[in-house]
Amino acid sequence: MKPRVPGFAKVLAVLVALAVVPPVLGRVLDGGQTNARMLTLAIGVCYACAALSLNLLMGYAGQISLGHFALLGCGAFTAGVLMSPYRMGLPFLVAVPAAALVGALVAFVIGLPALRLRGLYLAIVTIAFSYAMVESIFRWRPLTGGSAGVEVPRPIVDTFVFNRNADYLAVCLLLFAGLWLVDRNVTRTRLGRAFQAIRADESVAQAYGVDVARYKLMAFVVSGAFAGVAGAMYGSLFGFVNATSFDLQYSLLLVIVVVVGGLGSRAGVTAAALFYAVLPRWLSALEGWDLIVGSLLLMYAVSSHPGGMAEAFREARERKRAQGETDEPATPTLPDMPRPSGLAERRREPVGTPLLRVRDVTVRFGGLVAVDGASLDVERGKIVGLIGPNGAGKTTLFNAISGLVRTDSGTVEILGRDVTRAAPHQRAATGVGRTFQLIGLAKDLSVSENLLLAQHSVAGYTAGEALLWTGRTPRAERDLRERAREAVAALGFERYADTPVKYLSHGQQRIVELGCVLVTAPELVMLDEPSAGMSPGAAENLAVRLADIRDQLGRTVLVIEHNIPLVLDLCDDLYVLDAGKVIAQGAAREVAALPEVVGAYLGQLHPATALSAPAGTPSGVGA
Amino acid sequence: MSAHPLLKVEDVVAGFGPTTVLHGLSYEVRAGEIAGIFGLNGAGKSVSMKVLAGIVPVRSGRLLFDRLDVTAMSAEERVAKGMAHVPQGRQVFKELTVEQNLRLGAYTLRRRASARYRATLDGVYDRFPILAERRAQVAGTMSGGQQASLAVARALMAEPLLMLVDEPSAGLAPLVVEELYGTLREVAATGVTMVLVEQNVSFGLQLAHTAHILQTGRIVHSGPVSELDADAVASYLGVGRLLSSGVTSTLQARKPARKRAPRKKAAAP
Amino acid sequence: MSNLVLGCVYGGIYGLIAVGIVLVYRGTRVINFAQGEIGTFSLYLAWYVTVERGMPWWCGALAALAGATAIGLLFERLVVRRMHDATRLSVAVATVGLALFLLAVEIKAWGLSPRSFPAPVGGVGTKVFGVYVTPTQVISLVVVLAAGLGLAALLKRTDFGLGVLAASDDPTAVRMVGVRLSHVSAFTWGVGAALAAVAAVLFEPTVTVFAPDYAGRLFIAGLVAALVGGLSSLPGAFVGGIAVGMIEVFVRDKTLTWTFPGTTTVAMFVVILLVLLLRPRGLLGKAAS
Repeated sequence: MKPRVPGFAKVLAVLVALAVVPPVLGRVLDGGQTNARMLTLAIGVCYACAALSLNLLMGYAGQISLGHFALLGCGAFTAGVLMSPYRMGLPFLVAVPAAALVGALVAFVIGLPALRLRGLYLAIVTIAFSYAMVESIFRWRPLTGGSAGVEVPRPIVDTFVFNRNADYLAVCLLLFAGLWLVDRNVTRTRLGRAFQAIRADESVAQAYGVDVARYKLMAFVVSGAFAGVAGAMYGSLFGFVNATSFDLQYSLLLVIVVVVGGLGSRAGVTAAALFYAVLPRWLSALEGWDLIVGSLLLMYAVSSHPGGMAEAFREARERKRAQGETDEPATPTLPDMPRPSGLAERRREPVGTPLLRVRDVTVRFGGLVAVDGASLDVERGKIVGLIGPNGAGKTTLFNAISGLVRTDSGTVEILGRDVTRAAPHQRAATGVGRTFQLIGLAKDLSVSENLLLAQHSVAGYTAGEALLWTGRTPRAERDLRERAREAVAALGFERYADTPVKYLSHGQQRIVELGCVLVTAPELVMLDEPSAGMSPGAAENLAVRLADIRDQLGRTVLVIEHNIPLVLDLCDDLYVLDAGKVIAQGAAREVAALPEVVGAYLGQLHPATALSAPAGTPSGVGA
Repeated sequence: MSAHPLLKVEDVVAGFGPTTVLHGLSYEVRAGEIAGIFGLNGAGKSVSMKVLAGIVPVRSGRLLFDRLDVTAMSAEERVAKGMAHVPQGRQVFKELTVEQNLRLGAYTLRRRASARYRATLDGVYDRFPILAERRAQVAGTMSGGQQASLAVARALMAEPLLMLVDEPSAGLAPLVVEELYGTLREVAATGVTMVLVEQNVSFGLQLAHTAHILQTGRIVHSGPVSELDADAVASYLGVGRLLSSGVTSTLQARKPARKRAPRKKAAAP
Repeated sequence: MSNLVLGCVYGGIYGLIAVGIVLVYRGTRVINFAQGEIGTFSLYLAWYVTVERGMPWWCGALAALAGATAIGLLFERLVVRRMHDATRLSVAVATVGLALFLLAVEIKAWGLSPRSFPAPVGGVGTKVFGVYVTPTQVISLVVVLAAGLGLAALLKRTDFGLGVLAASDDPTAVRMVGVRLSHVSAFTWGVGAALAAVAAVLFEPTVTVFAPDYAGRLFIAGLVAALVGGLSSLPGAFVGGIAVGMIEVFVRDKTLTWTFPGTTTVAMFVVILLVLLLRPRGLLGKAAS
């Protein structure tokens, strides 16, 4: 535990400094503009808290909120109702957690539509939410005092009132530091990685074992709690709030702050928030111009540097590094990882025992029957190929097995367990790993981040433990990082470890994807057209790797592939799917020779099979 | 067949963002021939195609098309000058009907010579009776093979001089690849020039008259397919145990055709 | 009965805003969050030309139309076109930037006090089932119907329109058949913004005054209308507009005596939640994304 002590000491020192410096400064520099300046700074800190909240939702999880100040309002009115001497008169230390709770609850409700919808629709919900709150709920006299508003007094400890702005600034800074630390715990654990995966591609996240619905709601809840705290702080700072304090305009300003500061960058959004709160108030000549310049900056930022200013710097650095690194690494080996420590040890069964049993599975999309009563058996230690014409339902069957689509009838059993109704992340935990037709990696994340993300379902700690960095979290994170490092080393990708996947070549991305599938040591590896887009040399390399998965690692592979030479060379068993039905199954070479398979799928002219026999020379080519 | 090059790529340098992918690419395509571009992943095949299409800008060098310098022209202008594009796999406008797809394919033709539209459409329907049958069907609901045909048909609607064929077999089942092979052959037989990029080397070598082999952004070999040596192809393209028999036999099959290539007319189906 | 008439009158305007939103969405898969504020800004231009400069009504209307179209085209040229690789969500965030920009300029240039811009045709209008329907309100109903049907026909029947439809599917492929993507994009943003001006000018006489952010509520109603209609259907936008108009009038009528403020905004929020949760495709929309 040696390295943790200095980190902890450093955090403590910063906290003490935050608590001590403003009150001391406030007293030393007493008089003149000081009190007003401290107020401005405190406003800046409140904005920074709000920015952290929106950043968590938008920057990490990719869920847009255009009405975030309405959430702050929920926190502020909660604090007001609880603290106001004319109402309940409760202390600040009760009001802040309560505000966080209310913020979280309201955000939960706003987040519900996000379970089914994404992106733009959520923007609509949140903007309408803002209007509904500001025009209606926040103006309801019994609750919020109507246009007169509600009083939110400053905190009181015994007889000491935090009336001096410098003193209250210290309170704000401490709360901000608390949020910052929690936010840091989000980004360094599987929470943050799950959020980022959801932002990048929800189906990828699911395949990695992320319970997308749960994590989306969690992002809303944590963000809402942050907003509640920020709202309580904000209200108490001014001493009173009413509906107009939370106009849509402020929410949109917050969007500016977060986008210009850099989506996903804690330091960036904090700096932008301070800048926006402080500058126009100190330089009154800027009055009115701040919004004009800010909105122009927002448009500039999203159109030229979608990641904000922080991303612009990072990209410049990465570009420098990426230069001159285009050659492919020598044939990488694939990682043989032990069972993750988060999972129970499982017995090694002998080769040939059933691993996956699919029985009469039917999947319908509207009137279209994509998979029509397909049955499939995969035995342990084999490579099983799934071939068939485009649109035959191969990928849909894959999705049914890994749980991304619901089956209309039939059963899927993995290791003798019926998982027909299990969610994708649950199936991933039982030992199913898969790849996608188009590469299923979070493209903006680095190789090692992807490998960490791939271990989502085996990281054995809860969200609560992660937020507070307690319990099993530190140890589990160390293990995960160690495994990711090993996997990177096994792939021979050490120098790409921190390179975003999008800068790698297609073939390299495929290898990383395989590494991600294997890093959790799944029993069944499902690959959807792994050789697509690979040049012949790369495809041959892939064939060797796949054989390794079976022969060296003792795993089982189910593969969809159009590259027939590769299939015939590699697969033990073959299933042929046509119009959703299994039309042939058995040993690979025999199946490929069946007339119905030739008729429905292979055809006569296939370059590798037909052409290798002189009799099959196509009429259009030769003499 | 005219001997002047329809397309001339001169010393083209291009790339994305900070990376340069093509380091001085040069080759020529004569009218009426199918030029195949081959190479490993990352050699620059797809970028070279995007450069021809006008999606990736040329940093230095020149593109001459039909004796016209098109280096600075936008993608849309190049289409109007007679370049058409057959996209990868089955990329058609999935939400539009077959006929709407074809009408959009004829977008430049209808501006140039709207009177010819009807005849061109009929010609395409004659060649692809399945499309005529399904003219009102939404393209996304057709089978993979039909969509691949539609992609070719859409390009033909522009009455192009040059067709850029970008990995046509990607993601297609063998039977569909076979159909597509026949289709492209027939189209080539009508005198349309093609530039073809293809990962499936056997397929590409069967179709192409000339092969241009790319390595790290440069052409390392140009010449008629009929004169290609199987071992050389294997070493350039990393073809090994799995695929070599296919490539070797493809090349053997092409040998007798040497004197006639590029053919004006396809052999009987 | 009178509520039905009033609902139609409001609904027509909401439908106009919705048609603009739907057009931009069809062409670029982006929701233009500045649709309302473009309308407000164009009203300021109209007010400036007529009230401040004393020119006739039609000059003001023309200024509004031209101003809005110019804003749409400029925004497309300077921001949207540079974002062809960006996610649709970031383009939507850029439109938020535009909305804020216009708002900030209005406040800076003209302050917060309310202004007004006269109706195209004077008079209280005719009484229909106990409600006075002004000529402007009749005009707006006609305009929204014509705009919706006309645009739908344009998109389905012309080559360029097909290009617009296909562009939202696969922009690069549209370039590869020779349709100028820049024209498609300019068309949707220009016409979309012009529709915002038309809606704002026709709605103003009904509420009689405007100020910065005046179109905020109008925009939300238009957005709900577009959503109810399915976001991608132009006739749906019209139907959605009428539906939202009816809901608004009905809710206002039923809650007149309540002390609870702003029931119509809450109703809009509830409608959005219900539509999104129960029928994300809307009433006439095809596929949910």
